[in-house]
Amino acid sequence: MVTNNKVVDLRSDTVTKPSEAMRAAMAAADVDDDVLGADPTAQRFEAEMARIMGKEAALFVPSGTMANLVSVLVHCDARGCEVILGDNSHIHVYENGGISTIGGVHPKTVPNNADGTMDIDRIVAAIRHQDGALYYPTTRLICLENTHANCGGKCLSVEYIDKVGEVAKNHGLKLHIDGARIFNASVALGVPVDRLVRAADSVSVCLSKGLGAPVGSIIVGAKAFIDKAKILRKTLGGGMRQVGILCAAAYVGVRDTVGKLADDHRKAKVLADGLKKIKQFTVDLTSVETNMVFFDIADPRITPDKLCQVLEQRNVLAMPASSKSVRLVIHYQISDSDVQHALTCIEKAVEEILSGSAKFEHLTNGSTANSYGH
Amino acid sequence: MLTKAVDLRSDTVTKPSEAMRAAMAAADVDDDVLGSDPTAHRFETEMARMMGKEAALFVPSGTMANLVSALVHCDTRGSEVILGDNSHMHIYENGGMSTIGGVHPRTVRNNPDGTMDIDRIVAAIRHPNGLCYPTTRLICLENTQGNCGGKCLSVEYTDKVGEVAKTHGLKLHIDGARIFNASVALGVPVDRLVRAADSVSVCLSKGLGAPVGSVIVGSKAFIEKAKILRKTLGGGMRQVGVLCAAAHVGVRDTVGKLADDHRRAKVLADGLKKIKQLTVDLTSVETNMVYFDITDPLISPGKLCQVLEQRNVLAMAVTSKSVRLVTHYQISDSDVQYALTCIEEAVEEILLGNAKFGHLTNGVTANSYGN
Repeated sequence: MVTNNKVVDLRSDTVTKPSEAMRAAMAAADVDDDVLGADPTAQRFEAEMARIMGKEAALFVPSGTMANLVSVLVHCDARGCEVILGDNSHIHVYENGGISTIGGVHPKTVPNNADGTMDIDRIVAAIRHQDGALYYPTTRLICLENTHANCGGKCLSVEYIDKVGEVAKNHGLKLHIDGARIFNASVALGVPVDRLVRAADSVSVCLSKGLGAPVGSIIVGAKAFIDKAKILRKTLGGGMRQVGILCAAAYVGVRDTVGKLADDHRKAKVLADGLKKIKQFTVDLTSVETNMVFFDIADPRITPDKLCQVLEQRNVLAMPASSKSVRLVIHYQISDSDVQHALTCIEKAVEEILSGSAKFEHLTNGSTANSYGH
Repeated sequence: MLTKAVDLRSDTVTKPSEAMRAAMAAADVDDDVLGSDPTAHRFETEMARMMGKEAALFVPSGTMANLVSALVHCDTRGSEVILGDNSHMHIYENGGMSTIGGVHPRTVRNNPDGTMDIDRIVAAIRHPNGLCYPTTRLICLENTQGNCGGKCLSVEYTDKVGEVAKTHGLKLHIDGARIFNASVALGVPVDRLVRAADSVSVCLSKGLGAPVGSVIVGSKAFIEKAKILRKTLGGGMRQVGVLCAAAHVGVRDTVGKLADDHRRAKVLADGLKKIKQLTVDLTSVETNMVYFDITDPLISPGKLCQVLEQRNVLAMAVTSKSVRLVTHYQISDSDVQYALTCIEEAVEEILLGNAKFGHLTNGVTANSYGN
């Protein structure tokens, strides 16, 4: 039995705390002023990430938001640019509209299908025609997201990405992949990560999610692209000094945790199977491809907020995803017994709410401020 | 002989101490974006208290601290900021307040002592409702003023500028990257020094020695907006307590060592003055920076720095005829003596024509910018 002292945190894979190996690596890191020259640990890590991803160069940044913002702004460095991206993509929904408010770039959204893709013909239709140059911004970039979070941690296949890459090439556009969870996709698809992103001009990869590092993301791309990205990173305020501290931990994450992602996916399926047995919920088992499980609550007496609150009392943390759904995310610091404990707690929470015995604090409209974009 | 480099390029080169490394390894952390990292929370609370403001926010860099501050104060389209023509924000932050934030700068001349004349500041304030004018919203000061030589702005001057701001309905931001150096050199408690300011940016990664980061302090309402803008720019970090733990050690352990940095800077300046090919204004060494001019045309800053590098002494060429040296607590008294000896020897070498030079440009290297 799991004791109730430990919190089972299924809100996101961003909650992973640094491992002992990471803490030791951070304490021992060989560092220097990365803005003035090169922090040797940062340099080594960036070179390794570029190699792993099959690109020429890499750049460490404080967050996935900055990785995407820098990438879009470097690709779209002239006034009047437009970028094509999914209407349910993280960049469009959860990054404060920064590409526009900070970067002056206009978004053109295309509907995301349930599987995370956008229809190829709709992408093509969204590309601005030269003839309309008097009224149109100029399309410069297409962005994909792999795995696609809001669609449930869905994998975009290498065939699909290659196809979008061809569309981009034919129209003189660049392709950026928001690959915050690209390693999850690579593992689930059984496709080496460098092959998976080969068609992309740039990729953002998170170290602080399932890979477990405390901070940071990395951008990979051509050397010329990364040279510009470095300046923009500085401009936004992301130029950090002895940043090797963070790179040391990130390095450990890539080394030690990629191999554990398959287990996260397995545990997510176990969780989904268990949730399906609870009759107040609906779960689409086929839609659990990686480490995320979304489930709908069919019983109107149970709201996502209420459920999450009662679960919190039992030290299980989950995230309401909409007015009637909840999201759970598995990461390597969630064990098999944690999964069983969570399922038991969820069953009990449902009973408690239905029997009217649950205690609620002040609730709002069923979605909390924290249920956004992680 | 020394294998370790005597790095006088900047106080940004300070490496984390053993105490910092231990603190980082042991830090109690959580997802700071999702809720709050307890170590970040504790550190931000402590910094707010120390600076005499309501709240604080940890950010990856001084550039972001200033950018966020300017953009939060100037959150309406058509805003203008008054700042020094030789200020770090204007010269060395990629023009980000404009290119990223859409804010227009209005510069006022920086005097050699780091101040801007009060009457020139007032003259720069736009008349409201001018059809052709942006709207002045903010005045920015820098303390210590880096390009002017690490000069301290007095509390009286800061208060006066604060009054001007208040009288005209403007905000006051202080780029206090090295505010602790100013506080120590002036003998004025840091919270008193910045009392007139609505916001202050403070670097932890310079003389205080932390590996990464700065803090913005201000009112609670200001910091709440700053938090969102920080996220927007991409500065929202997850288990950031790792960095805050080191920063906290820096503030605890290193503020008390700044006076020694200032003392060593004066020793350095005294020694440089004795070298006849160089000129130094001793009275202008107020904190941890020493600028010296090279009067002998046979010696360029680039050449000098290159020859010094061969001796493991690192300095920064700043113009076509001057060099800057910055002391920090990882520079010892004997390092200072060693550096002086090397500089003397380097001068001799260059004059004798014995020095070997790599590919040189016009005497100013790409690294001599804004650090």
